[in-house]
Amino acid sequence: MASIPDEKPVGASAIEQRRAADHSSFLTHRKFLWLWVALASCIAAIAIYFSIDVQPRPNGGTWYGYTLGTIGAGLIVWLALLGIRKRNMSEGHWSLKAWTSAHVYLGLSLIVIATLHTGFQLGWNVHTLAYVLMMIVILSGIYGIYAYVTLPQALSDNRKEMTTEMMVEALTSIDGQLRRAAQPLDRHEADTVIAALEQDTFGFGLWTRLANRYGNCATTRALDAFSGSHGKDSPQETVRALLARRKTQLDQIRRHMKIKAMLEVWLFIHIPVTIALLAALTAHIISVFYYW
Amino acid sequence: MTFLIETIDVTASGREIVRRKEMPGSELGIGRDAANAIHLDDLAVELNHARVTQREDGTLAVEAVSSLGFTVEGRHTNSAIIDPRGGGELGFGNYRLTVSQGEGGVPAISIRVAEAAEGARADKVGGFALASAMPSKRVVAWVALVGILIAFLAVPIFSHLTRDTVKPDYDQQGAVLMDSSWSTGSLSLAHEGLEDNCEACHVTPFEAVTDQTCLSCHGELSKHIDTIIEDHAKPDRMAPARGPLPWGDQIQWDIAHAFGKSGPGVCSDCHTEHEGKTKMQPAAQAFCADCHDSLDKRLTDTELGNAGDFGTAHPQFKAVLFTEPGQKDPVRLSLDSQPKEYNGLRFPHDVHLDKRGGVARMAMRIGAKRGYGAGGMECKDCHRLNKDESDYLPVEMERDCEACHSLVFDSSGGQFRSLEHGDVGKMQAALARLDRAPRRPIVTDRRRPGEYARGGLYYQDFGQPQRGLIAINRALSRGGVCGDCHIPTSKGSRAGVMPVNLPDKYFIRGFFDHKTHEKDAECSDCHLAGQSKSADDLLMPAIKQCRDCHMGEADKKADVPSSCAMCHAYHPRNGLMPAIDPHRKDKKSISDRKTIAGILPKQRPASRAGGE
Repeated sequence: MASIPDEKPVGASAIEQRRAADHSSFLTHRKFLWLWVALASCIAAIAIYFSIDVQPRPNGGTWYGYTLGTIGAGLIVWLALLGIRKRNMSEGHWSLKAWTSAHVYLGLSLIVIATLHTGFQLGWNVHTLAYVLMMIVILSGIYGIYAYVTLPQALSDNRKEMTTEMMVEALTSIDGQLRRAAQPLDRHEADTVIAALEQDTFGFGLWTRLANRYGNCATTRALDAFSGSHGKDSPQETVRALLARRKTQLDQIRRHMKIKAMLEVWLFIHIPVTIALLAALTAHIISVFYYW
Repeated sequence: MTFLIETIDVTASGREIVRRKEMPGSELGIGRDAANAIHLDDLAVELNHARVTQREDGTLAVEAVSSLGFTVEGRHTNSAIIDPRGGGELGFGNYRLTVSQGEGGVPAISIRVAEAAEGARADKVGGFALASAMPSKRVVAWVALVGILIAFLAVPIFSHLTRDTVKPDYDQQGAVLMDSSWSTGSLSLAHEGLEDNCEACHVTPFEAVTDQTCLSCHGELSKHIDTIIEDHAKPDRMAPARGPLPWGDQIQWDIAHAFGKSGPGVCSDCHTEHEGKTKMQPAAQAFCADCHDSLDKRLTDTELGNAGDFGTAHPQFKAVLFTEPGQKDPVRLSLDSQPKEYNGLRFPHDVHLDKRGGVARMAMRIGAKRGYGAGGMECKDCHRLNKDESDYLPVEMERDCEACHSLVFDSSGGQFRSLEHGDVGKMQAALARLDRAPRRPIVTDRRRPGEYARGGLYYQDFGQPQRGLIAINRALSRGGVCGDCHIPTSKGSRAGVMPVNLPDKYFIRGFFDHKTHEKDAECSDCHLAGQSKSADDLLMPAIKQCRDCHMGEADKKADVPSSCAMCHAYHPRNGLMPAIDPHRKDKKSISDRKTIAGILPKQRPASRAGGE
């Protein structure tokens, strides 16, 4: 072969490089390259802000205001493109990890750039709406970073080497045993068991999941109902034991749901608010030029 | 009698396993209890739930044993008759019992678990994801996107494009909807009334606010004269005066032009709006000095002197005045040329202000009646402040002089007759009508003492009746009732006096607030009236006098560091006080005189001064 395709470098160093890239997080990507880029931009922006004398007072309509606004708008659009970018695979310097790293740090730098763009003039208008939406997006993103850094370990710890399928299977298996064990029960007792069995494990909303407080948990109620003294071999005792097992399994599932909710909840803000921000940004820019 | 029972189970792969058994007897029980012929291991089913009885006619009677009923063809009931020949479906909990006619006319009941219950737990792993408990991100995003674009973009734009264009009205609300959401901040106090009327200034979409728009309220056709704004200078003078812009500014303007902004030199350059409810701050010295410190280099034919700093680079003041008798238009002269004024009057300030002179005596005597102090005449006795106390009203003979300079020429029956001031013709007629017969003197027989006595300095001799015609001539000549203050002249054959040309203002390009100075200075500190022997003396202070306290903006040692804006307005106010906010309720500082024609010194009308 006359040539070696250069996009696929071979040799120990290249492999080493790729491995290193594979195993460092998006936060530490390339020795915090994007952190330094973002920091430098912020410091420069602040320095210029305070070194120029804008009359009568700083605002988005000065030359520096327009400059920061243009940079900010460009950044917002680029940051939003992560949603499209992440659906396409690529590697190297512009791997998704590199992109995410830049997304995080440049996104954070928007706090400084956009705030300086406002000149600290906020009000009840579409311009401030865009600013507030942007801040909500950024704050939710900061939470997202926190969640992505800290929660996967908790999620993993809670699994105890079970997959989610296994958790559901375990519950199903306990339920089958419960159903059989409850056959001799009278109607009233059977009803409490049915209520426990029929309650949708996942039929709970955001707050219940996050708080992990299931006030109307039918399994807990059933456990209470069977908590009285029964004969050792009585069906009631068997059912109680099974309900206790069911509760233990439910607890694991619910902890998993809690962590998963904490891990995912910010996206339900980050993404729709980003789209709302793009709309508000459009309205902000068009309105400024419309009433030029 | 027999029942045929079929139990149908479905394997994971979907295959059906059918188990058949025959149950002898005409009755069978249905329930969770294993003792029942039809044993349904669903907890929703009672231990003993229902009973099926085969009747004579071959039909089956189904009766609920417990209080829980069952369903027939999906309808809930407690008892039912089913004909196996017609078939039917009973429901107990998750189980479905299909009744039909089996081989040999035996009623057959096949049991199967309802399909829905079978797959109830299918794909429940998806429930772990928060998405199963939240509204779709996509839906929320779309709703927010569309909502924001409609409320903050479509509605204002549509209503702006479809509005009726009317002449902007300060007190009217605008017709465009939702555009207050576009406002980047409150308008300045002067424009407060336009807060709800964006389209008054933002007339055409995507077109920057033009000077023309500003002039629709501030132009010469404005219905409120207070709001008229005059050009700083003509645009064709401004551009060369400004000279080439620094490269940084030039780039900014190039970009601004690319976006359709006009300038430099347009209203919106300085009058940026939406900066909050504030008044416009006076311009910094550098703003003026940029052009004016070396104006003559760029504007070689300018009459203006260079001015960059009041303390160190400001030309001598120029006063507007008349210097010659009969002058039609006033001239504006630098105080350095020590101009002499010709105002048509004789008036020695020193005599009037001398604390020990006769005038002082007379003032003491007349005293409280006219508000004169015990120490003789003071400036304020003749020079009275205007309404806003920034400046002085013109001196009026009747109010300010006549207390001493009486025009009484006759008395009869205790009534005094006065000459009418300002009309030579009437004066002559009045004197000519004086009774020619010998008459008593105006005063009693008692002689007035000292200088007030006949022949004394202040004795006013209006002439004896028999000398009436002589009196007419004497009145106009020096020492006469008119000629004491006025310079006689004649036009054609008619006698008269020179017109009085006293300016209301000498300095017309800067303003000066007497009120603020009166705390720290006496009149005589600036106006050397006490030493002035003649009305020719121009008693205006030169720049040196001001510099005792006022120096340039940057001079921190000065008592009063002063920027240009302390005395000058960017838009010519013609010597009027600044801080003009035409829309504010308190118009105290707005003078009644609006135009330069109103304040330039001019010749008094002939009827007042007499001769022409």
